[in-house]
Amino acid sequence: MTISEETLMAYADGELDAETRASVEAAMREDPEIGKRVARHRALREAMQEAFSAVLQEPVPDRLIAAARGPTVAPKDSVVDLSLAREAARQRVSPAPRRWQPAAMAASLLLGLGLGFLAWHESGGTLIEPGAGGKLIAGAALAEALSTQLSDDRSADRVVVAGMSFRDRSGDFCRTFSSSGSDASSGLACREGSEWRIKALAQSPRSAANSSNFRTAASEDSPAIRAAVEGSIDGEPLDHAGEIAARKAGWAGGQKH
Amino acid sequence: MSTNDGVENIQEQIVALLPRLRRFARNLVRNPHDADDAVQIAVERALLRLDQWRSDARLDSWLFKILRNAWIDEVRARARRAKILMPEEAGEQIGEATMEREIDRWSAEAALSRLPEDQRLAVSLVLVEGLSYKDAAEVLDVPLGTLTSRLARGREALQEMLRLPEGDLS
Repeated sequence: MTISEETLMAYADGELDAETRASVEAAMREDPEIGKRVARHRALREAMQEAFSAVLQEPVPDRLIAAARGPTVAPKDSVVDLSLAREAARQRVSPAPRRWQPAAMAASLLLGLGLGFLAWHESGGTLIEPGAGGKLIAGAALAEALSTQLSDDRSADRVVVAGMSFRDRSGDFCRTFSSSGSDASSGLACREGSEWRIKALAQSPRSAANSSNFRTAASEDSPAIRAAVEGSIDGEPLDHAGEIAARKAGWAGGQKH
Repeated sequence: MSTNDGVENIQEQIVALLPRLRRFARNLVRNPHDADDAVQIAVERALLRLDQWRSDARLDSWLFKILRNAWIDEVRARARRAKILMPEEAGEQIGEATMEREIDRWSAEAALSRLPEDQRLAVSLVLVEGLSYKDAAEVLDVPLGTLTSRLARGREALQEMLRLPEGDLS
């Protein structure tokens, strides 16, 4: 009689009904070769369990235990969860900054704080400056980059690099950017009228220690900026043609009320 | 089990399952730090959806499923994120560095990590986590037959790579 390998496998895994199990056992008695095949399946099972048992002995990180005991216990340990961030953004008019996990926390989130633009005077000019009504807007150098650069243009030696572009839910165009120089930082700006308004800024945790290598640091995907994008993006990012069209139209937003 | 004071009880059950969630996550995600992040996201989601857990279902497989879906979402988000900022970041290297040192366990782990994801997860759930075929199929959202054929193919490939002593295929 022939018994399929899948049946033997299921036998070794204890998945067979009583009748099939009995017929496998009968076959094993008759043919030692079948017994060997079953033993092989069992040996593999044991080998895999053995190989992966070590992680069970490791101490579980506190943040996971805190997470399992509920969000009220340790809300500040929340990991960046984009779908939740997006959900939160959908529900609130202006999303409160989430708290990030410790590693990501190092990227200090400078949402609309005066502190932000102090660090943003680069040799190329003022990157960020206060606008009307306490808003932060892009300074000349940053505005130039946001208005003219395409995200797939990767020329070197730029003080400011404009990243991807997208439309937010009110139809305005928004772009990410990162700066070189002493304070490697990244941010998100949206076009409002004739200005690029700064929506979020994050300073790279490594910028201080590693200022010469700013490109790497600045391009590190900052959870704060990522969340800001996720919280406001409507649809997909613009492609090359989309950016060219938007640039041609002066980044004038669409169906804004 | 009563359903009312059940929440705290379930939370403690989840705490007790954390080591296994971390283990499954490492087979799902590979990079240990990402794996823990995935566990954390999954646990947070699970707590938000406790009402969706049917108490006749196994808590572990329910959590495995949430974990897997959380990771799928994360992979998609990362693909999009890659477009958001400049794609210059190098891949993380923590995973490889730690694996090199674990020579004893390297072969089984390495063998598993070389399987295609479908097979790797089937093997991980059934052979490592000890789930039934039915529960594993449920976690992976596939029919039972699909699960068993992935498992069979994964096993065959592992036998090949590990060359376990018992016998040959006839």
